[in-house]
Amino acid sequence: MRKRYRYVALELASPLVAIAFAVLVGAVVIAAIGKNPVQVYRIMFTFAFRRLDSVGIMLFGATPLIFSGLAVAISFRAGLFNIGVEGQYLIGTFLAALAGFALKGLPSFVHLPLVIVVAALGGALWSLLPIYLKVRRGVHEVISTIMLNYIAFSLIHYLIADVFMDKQQGLMPGVGNPLIRLPKIAASALMPRMHGFLALLGVDLPRHVYLNWFFPLGLLLAVAVHYLIWRTAFGYELRAVGHNPAAAEAAGIDPAAVQIRAFLLSGLIAGVTGLSDLLSYFGYMDLDFPKGYGFTGIAVALMGKNSPLGIVLAALLFGFLNRGAEGVQTFAGVPMDTVVILQGVMILSIVVASAVMGRYIRRQERKEALGASW
Amino acid sequence: MVSELLASAIRMGLPVLLAALGAVYSERSGVVNIGLEGMMITGSFWGAVGAYYAGPLAGMALAVAASVLMALVHAVVSVTFRVDQIVSGVALNILAYGAARFSSIALFQKATMSPHVQGFTPISVPGLDQVPWLKPLVTNLSPLVVVGFLLVPLSYWVIEKTVFGLRLRAVGENPLAADTLGLKVFHLRYAGVLLSGVLAGLAGAYLSVEHTGMYVEGMTQGKGYIALAAMIFGNWSPVGAMGAALLFGFAESLSFRVVESAVVPYQFIKMIPYALTLVVLAGVLKRTRPPAADGIPYEREEA
Amino acid sequence: MAFLELREVTKRFPGVVANDRISLEIDRGEIRALVGENGAGKSTLMKVLSGLYQPDAGEIRLDGRRVVIDSPRRAIELGIGMVHQHFMLIPRFTVLENIVLGSEPARGGLLREREARRIVGELCQKYEFTLDLGARVEDLSVGAQQRVEILKVLYRGAEILILDEPTAVLAPQEVRELFVNLRHLRDQGKTIIFISHKLDEVLEIADRISVLRRGVLVGTVRREETERAALARMMVGRPVLLELEKGPYRPGEDRLVVEDLTVPGPGGRPAVRRVSLRVRAGEIYGIAGIEGNGQSELVEALSGLRRASAGRILIGGVSVTEATMRRMRPVTEGRVRRARPVAEGRVRRLRELGLAHIPEDRQRRGLILAMTVWENGVLGLHRSPSFARRGWLQVRPIKKHAQSLVREFDIRLPGLDIPVRNVSGGNQQKLILARELGREPTLIVASQPTRGLDIGATEFVRQQLLRARDRGRAVLLVSADLEEVLSLSDRVGVMYGGELVAEFRPGEVTPEEIGHYMLGGRARATEAAVGGTRGADGAGGTGGAGGGVGPAGGTGGAAGADGGVRGRGGAGEAGGTGGGMA
Repeated sequence: MRKRYRYVALELASPLVAIAFAVLVGAVVIAAIGKNPVQVYRIMFTFAFRRLDSVGIMLFGATPLIFSGLAVAISFRAGLFNIGVEGQYLIGTFLAALAGFALKGLPSFVHLPLVIVVAALGGALWSLLPIYLKVRRGVHEVISTIMLNYIAFSLIHYLIADVFMDKQQGLMPGVGNPLIRLPKIAASALMPRMHGFLALLGVDLPRHVYLNWFFPLGLLLAVAVHYLIWRTAFGYELRAVGHNPAAAEAAGIDPAAVQIRAFLLSGLIAGVTGLSDLLSYFGYMDLDFPKGYGFTGIAVALMGKNSPLGIVLAALLFGFLNRGAEGVQTFAGVPMDTVVILQGVMILSIVVASAVMGRYIRRQERKEALGASW
Repeated sequence: MVSELLASAIRMGLPVLLAALGAVYSERSGVVNIGLEGMMITGSFWGAVGAYYAGPLAGMALAVAASVLMALVHAVVSVTFRVDQIVSGVALNILAYGAARFSSIALFQKATMSPHVQGFTPISVPGLDQVPWLKPLVTNLSPLVVVGFLLVPLSYWVIEKTVFGLRLRAVGENPLAADTLGLKVFHLRYAGVLLSGVLAGLAGAYLSVEHTGMYVEGMTQGKGYIALAAMIFGNWSPVGAMGAALLFGFAESLSFRVVESAVVPYQFIKMIPYALTLVVLAGVLKRTRPPAADGIPYEREEA
Repeated sequence: MAFLELREVTKRFPGVVANDRISLEIDRGEIRALVGENGAGKSTLMKVLSGLYQPDAGEIRLDGRRVVIDSPRRAIELGIGMVHQHFMLIPRFTVLENIVLGSEPARGGLLREREARRIVGELCQKYEFTLDLGARVEDLSVGAQQRVEILKVLYRGAEILILDEPTAVLAPQEVRELFVNLRHLRDQGKTIIFISHKLDEVLEIADRISVLRRGVLVGTVRREETERAALARMMVGRPVLLELEKGPYRPGEDRLVVEDLTVPGPGGRPAVRRVSLRVRAGEIYGIAGIEGNGQSELVEALSGLRRASAGRILIGGVSVTEATMRRMRPVTEGRVRRARPVAEGRVRRLRELGLAHIPEDRQRRGLILAMTVWENGVLGLHRSPSFARRGWLQVRPIKKHAQSLVREFDIRLPGLDIPVRNVSGGNQQKLILARELGREPTLIVASQPTRGLDIGATEFVRQQLLRARDRGRAVLLVSADLEEVLSLSDRVGVMYGGELVAEFRPGEVTPEEIGHYMLGGRARATEAAVGGTRGADGAGGTGGAGGGVGPAGGTGGAAGADGGVRGRGGAGEAGGTGGGMA
């Protein structure tokens, strides 16, 4: 049994190996543009961890990634690959923004939850077609969700610029152009920041940090997803279908039904991804609303090996990378996009490391099992 | 009018065609290549770099080299290490996106675009350019268009008639059987993936060097994925892929005309290729038959 | 001096010595049989010879010279050709393409098809093989596919042919045809190594017989100097129990009634045609037949995994056909997996009616290999009130349940928490059996329940099925192992071309008659066709194996279905043995 712990340790080692490799590649890239990698990495760390605001911004930055990572992971567990989180959260965010400014006079405890539900439903809505096409027409969800991402971009663009654009922006006459954005969301739908709560704990978060209650909500969701996957009958079916749909089917589980539910669930969670930004930092949706959380979510899910705890850690890591990169860009003149390269390399090396490690572990386990039965 | 539309369809469809031909090589060898998009991004950027510093030919060469490098990563990860091919491809796309931005800043001090670059001198088909209704089709052509369409029969010939093609198809259908016959499964799959890198690189370079005259971030607009769909629609054959690529080119060129007429909001016009992809896949998939071992990593029995 | 000599060849795998210092001497132009039970090390030894495995110790000598066979290619160069048990063919390729693949006649990289056709045609003539070189392999009968395999190695100039369980998938008549071919090859100077565990066949074809047991060579005997019982003793090390304990035959009411059932196969063509049968409580109804004649589709239809297009199924008097008749819908698991029907709760309803299903491919249909033993112990029962409350899994009861299954069925494991992937094949099958029989079902559908198991596990599984019968369960047993069907069943049906062509009680008919049925009752016609083509080349070339005589469509459909099954099996095996695929 002690061996089991060794396997767990090995299993955990692969993300570390991946990070180390990515750091190495990053160093080469940084050196290639004539900077000193050691110095750059040092700036990254000190900037991210020596300042209280940085820590808060890291958590804020990790928040959407927890949601998108969980969304991707649930689809992965069911043997599906939801690359459509990107489009799903944009649709969810848009509908939330709509419900946020269109409904007025609601008390906060009604309006805010309502907006969150609307966002989730929006995400699920945008995941409906791909899973339908998958189950009924055999269209691979990867291609259909990517197509729907592009369609979502255009659709949102149209809806923001041509249909719902805020025409009453309080601009001083003659100064600049109006922003292409939706009207501002009612205060009753905004998510409170955590400053007050943290102040109770003696932590004084600066004003420019937008860390809000979506972060603890994301943590709670991760716990919920953990229990869903490992402790419910539905989670059991989800995993069964993900590993072997044919055997699940023979056991009376309907793989299509499970996959549909899992994918819609993934869409529901995806839909909420953008809300931490929308309901605290922006307060409205515009054409420059942050994109890419969906794709980064894939990286987060892979880094976290589709386990909720791992996803939280991976999201924090990516939050750190982004914040650190801002520091590096400002103080060392290294482009922020180094981070995207790091992320890409990390995913590739984590999947390779996991594959190699997994095979090794399986071989060891089989040896052990054979030993027991012979 | 019709031939002008067709000429425009050919211009629009060419990157899809090139990438789809690449996909045919990769998938016939049994490797799903969703990383085409990333390879095209890479190709479009480095094509512009090469063209900017040393002319269009250098652009093509650099684009192909960079894209093949990406393909090599895909091959190492998915063939040698047998990681899920879709995961590998998606990771590659993320990497390609970041690498292009980073390199663009490093070289051009701007993340999103390159300076203008000079493309090839357009060519005309002598003789045919005198026929009035053929004129739009045979004049003012990018040499890459000619190359691209010559690649269709060439690819058919390579895949169906040569020893290499037979072996490539064999490892895509039944790698274990191929292995027992002494075929080098990994080598052949590497060849398939790298060839797809060559073609995707050309496709990307065509976009920046020939079609737009500069690199712009996001200029591939999912054409790599559309190429994959075109290849499926074309039932994993070069000729079929050409038909599908032309269909997409046609839809896109048609949509440009609709934009000019300004009846429908242009955002909806922009959706057309993607919606068309969905419709095509939903309608056609049952009739197609992928290579039997497509997407399945090959692993020798270890015991 | 021996033509091929093995000296102290040893091959170890984690936890097991598959070949333990094996020394063999094989002469040129001899047919050498290598017998032993499953797991005795025959296949490992042959994989060592064909370059798929490297021995850990020992040496191989060919024509007196020491050789190192480090790849299949090297084996071929040395003139060692392997005809695999699971054919290594590419269904979509033509016969010709399959044969020349890897050493194609070519000029400047271009395939010379006419040249290839000429060379292979001459080979066919020389060794008297009838084959349509232009046909796609997926359209051929199993016997014809096997001829393609043999031609493949002959084309490569093999002097030594290794045949791994070549008769496993053949009907008796096809076996005889194969033996004619093999003797012919021997007479032309080829050396043949014939791996089998069927003693009668070995005694018929081999010149000498080598027996392996648990990785050790027990001995080599001349055919004339031995007999069945002696060989069997060498093989298992103890007298074989051929008689099984079986209570008196007291059939009760009809538990399963099938009426005029027609089931479409993978290609849409009917794989099961108007089959009617009934299985009663307290009996085992066995279905014999060559694989790929609709048995798999019949089982899938009965277990709710495939929709019938016509006919009725009643389980315990309840018609389940209405549910089975809904239209087909494909589900594609990514582009890599094939379309298949959707269950839509039908399987669950059937299970609630008391159906237990022991699927033919246990790793594909019976277990979730990546999940733990305790989780697999409740697969399909995980929603029952004792294991799930308000959607929450009751982990402790589930583990307790698994514990009791493991105890009752003597499943040997290091623990309940390990993934089933790491459990041996016999224990995997026991786990399925424990789970399915533990539900106290009224009807058991068991498909190839002992395939690939060692003799201990095989015996155990058979006893469990008999015990279920004696306790009044109805059992439908589908097996390609004729001996198994005949010794377990109370009544037997034979399937051919999707039809149930005969039904009888064991003992009523001779094996010859059964073989006759297994070939659709056209055994004599086949022989005539073969004879005919031998005389006039090209007469039988179109259909191959007398396909032109009988219902050609049926043959094609059956072969196609079979190809599909084998493809999956192959993939499953690769996954299982190779450490599983993501």
